[in-house]
Amino acid sequence: MEIYAYAVAVLLWLSMIAFAVLGGADFGGGIWNVLFFGRNVKEARSLIRGALGPVWEANNVWLIYIVVGLYTGFPIVAASVANALFIPLTLALIGFVMRGAAFAFRTQPSRTGGMSTVWGLGFGVASLLTPFMFGAIAAAVASGAIPVRNGQGPVALIGAWLTPFALTVAVIALAVSATIAAIFLTVEAQRIDSRDLMEAFRLRALIALGVTALLGLLGLFLSISEAPVIWHGMLDHGWWAVGITMLIGIGTAAALFFRRYKLARVLIVMEVAAFLGAWGISQLPYILPPNLTVVQAASPPTTMREFLYSALVGLLVLLPSFWFLFHVFKFQMAVPQVHEEEVKEG
Amino acid sequence: MFSNLVAARAQMGFSLIFHVVFVVLGVGLPLLLCLAEGLALWRKDGTWLALSRQWTKAFTVLFAIGAVSGAVVEFEIALLWSGLVKNAGAIIGLPFALEGFAFFLEGIFLGVYLFGAKRLSPVAHWLTSIPIVISGIVSAWFITSANSWMNSPAGFQLVNGKAINIDPFAAILNPNTPFETTHMILACYVTAGFGAAAVYAVGMLRGKRDGYHRRGLLLGMLMGGAAIPLQIISGDFNARSLEQTQPLTYAAMEGVTRSGFGKPLYIGGIVDPASGHVWYSIQIPNGESLLSHFDLNSYTKGMNAFPSSLWPPAAVIHLSFDVMVGSAFFMLLVAVVFWGLFLKNKRAVPENKWLLWGTVITGPAAYIALELGWIVTEEGRQPWISYLWLLVKNAVNPAQWMNVSLVVFICIYLVLGTTLVVLLLRLARGPKPSEKWEDLLVDEGTTKIKQEVGA
Repeated sequence: MEIYAYAVAVLLWLSMIAFAVLGGADFGGGIWNVLFFGRNVKEARSLIRGALGPVWEANNVWLIYIVVGLYTGFPIVAASVANALFIPLTLALIGFVMRGAAFAFRTQPSRTGGMSTVWGLGFGVASLLTPFMFGAIAAAVASGAIPVRNGQGPVALIGAWLTPFALTVAVIALAVSATIAAIFLTVEAQRIDSRDLMEAFRLRALIALGVTALLGLLGLFLSISEAPVIWHGMLDHGWWAVGITMLIGIGTAAALFFRRYKLARVLIVMEVAAFLGAWGISQLPYILPPNLTVVQAASPPTTMREFLYSALVGLLVLLPSFWFLFHVFKFQMAVPQVHEEEVKEG
Repeated sequence: MFSNLVAARAQMGFSLIFHVVFVVLGVGLPLLLCLAEGLALWRKDGTWLALSRQWTKAFTVLFAIGAVSGAVVEFEIALLWSGLVKNAGAIIGLPFALEGFAFFLEGIFLGVYLFGAKRLSPVAHWLTSIPIVISGIVSAWFITSANSWMNSPAGFQLVNGKAINIDPFAAILNPNTPFETTHMILACYVTAGFGAAAVYAVGMLRGKRDGYHRRGLLLGMLMGGAAIPLQIISGDFNARSLEQTQPLTYAAMEGVTRSGFGKPLYIGGIVDPASGHVWYSIQIPNGESLLSHFDLNSYTKGMNAFPSSLWPPAAVIHLSFDVMVGSAFFMLLVAVVFWGLFLKNKRAVPENKWLLWGTVITGPAAYIALELGWIVTEEGRQPWISYLWLLVKNAVNPAQWMNVSLVVFICIYLVLGTTLVVLLLRLARGPKPSEKWEDLLVDEGTTKIKQEVGA
């Protein structure tokens, strides 16, 4: 049943978009924590600390869901990618762990010199490492570096995720994360009426967006030779999605330029969705180019059906819970700040 | 350099030994929080409330480390055992996905519980702890069901080495699931309960014999003391089911090297399956046959009924099993003495020095039992990753660099563990929350926070 295979693929792709937006904002916050220079660096860092969600645990569940969703729905893809990209996946995982741990440790009471400096540094490095590796992994998958024949594929590749195309996409992942975070932070700054920070993050968001756009064009150009499956797919049936991505990107820049920060926040979320959507559509019908299609890689229909039903039931429980979470914190968007302060009281 | 098989097994072992420490607290502590806060509201008792606030602080960081170490384990299923995912993902991926939803719920309500203390009415805040308790149980259930499946695979048919007619829900409800999930969930309450009791027993031995420490000790002993007899019964059921589903594992656990009638019970000792001896053990004649089948002369299948190439490491399994059981009975003894004295003293918390020392030991004993129990489970299944179907050596990821990965992850666990211990000690030595009811419930308000952040 092809419909189940595509339905599960779409569900996992949507989870990836959710992780790219929510996780990207978290990672981007860490990036600005390192890369913010200027006179109000202290205020900026305090704003970033506050904006890093109290629900970062929930954000990382999206990633877990993608991983276990692949185990269930497309096990051959999970196994082949784990074998072929063992090194970048392990590096991404290390960054992921250190970042989560650093975040938890940093918010603990009585932060004294040494330990907090070390964990602060670890937090910054891990925030750069993880999105970079996820970008390189995505590029290696998209460029068709993992040919699977008779269930066998390559093992522990090194070159595939260090090509010019892969490095470009890896930096795009960093730039996109930085853009999302900077735009989210303009809204945070607006909420606390800090004109300086608003302007500072507006400028940085525009720069990061510009870098993303330039690298995006470079990536597109490189894909002609390095990711031919994507390039031909795009020409064949994905050109409109790429066009929409570009238009939304321009719209985001315009919203930032005219200081419509809340609009920019909506647009950047759509931009990430369009960007990843365009990738997905261009890659069809392959889930793991150049050999494995969505339908070939899918688990038997019973598994796919039960996975979808369980997702439906899960959502029925999740949505009211999310509603409750936002209901409780509706009038106080500064949830993370409260966390910081409450911890300091202890 | 190790082979990939050894390196991957070592990394998985370290990861699980580390992660499970936080699992039991992630499942067990919410119930302690829920009980302490419930008692606080019922009795209008500021000390109970202060206790729940202090536990909340520790729980925040423990939960975070549990979440990241859990993410590592989820990734490692494919990174280390890609052969398992490839062959069995369609059968047994589902409980992991379902656990994802339970974990989402846990995260959401934990967010509300941690950050909403001053934004919700006291009763509403207390109520948000209940979904955390429930989703913790559900998470543990799903993940343990996946492990049970590895021990007693179900939900598919094997034709020419290929799995067909896959039914994921039948896989989740495999023969071992009811016993293993119950045993693991009870282990969470045993460990969190005695762990908490041990912390306050240390405080009381250091002379801090106040209401705060007495309440902490009491509640820990209540949870651990209620769970430990149930855990021993559940363990008994578990062993009986193992004799049916994994007879070879059962034989290794009990040191039954040769099949026969009226087998003795070996307590402790080194099992040597090749020679059939159990060195240095205490023997109770016909004990195993009596315990297992309530018949002194009943028949038990020994390890020699199976080819020696499939034998699990019996010496490790038997000793781990016996130390686990011994620890459990020690905890039961301490709990019985504690509650006996409690009732005899007209409901006063007993402060006998030797009892307090015993309580201190129950903390590590609970953790030792937990870890050894998992060693029995995992070593007991060797050499299979999925019993009688997939061999561990055929499931391992062939990638080079597995050794480097092992070293890096060991370093990460050392750093995380050390930092965590330092932080928790600092938290324990720091000032306690005020025990005055008003201080803990008055809305200190968002104004102060806004001022500080805006400034």
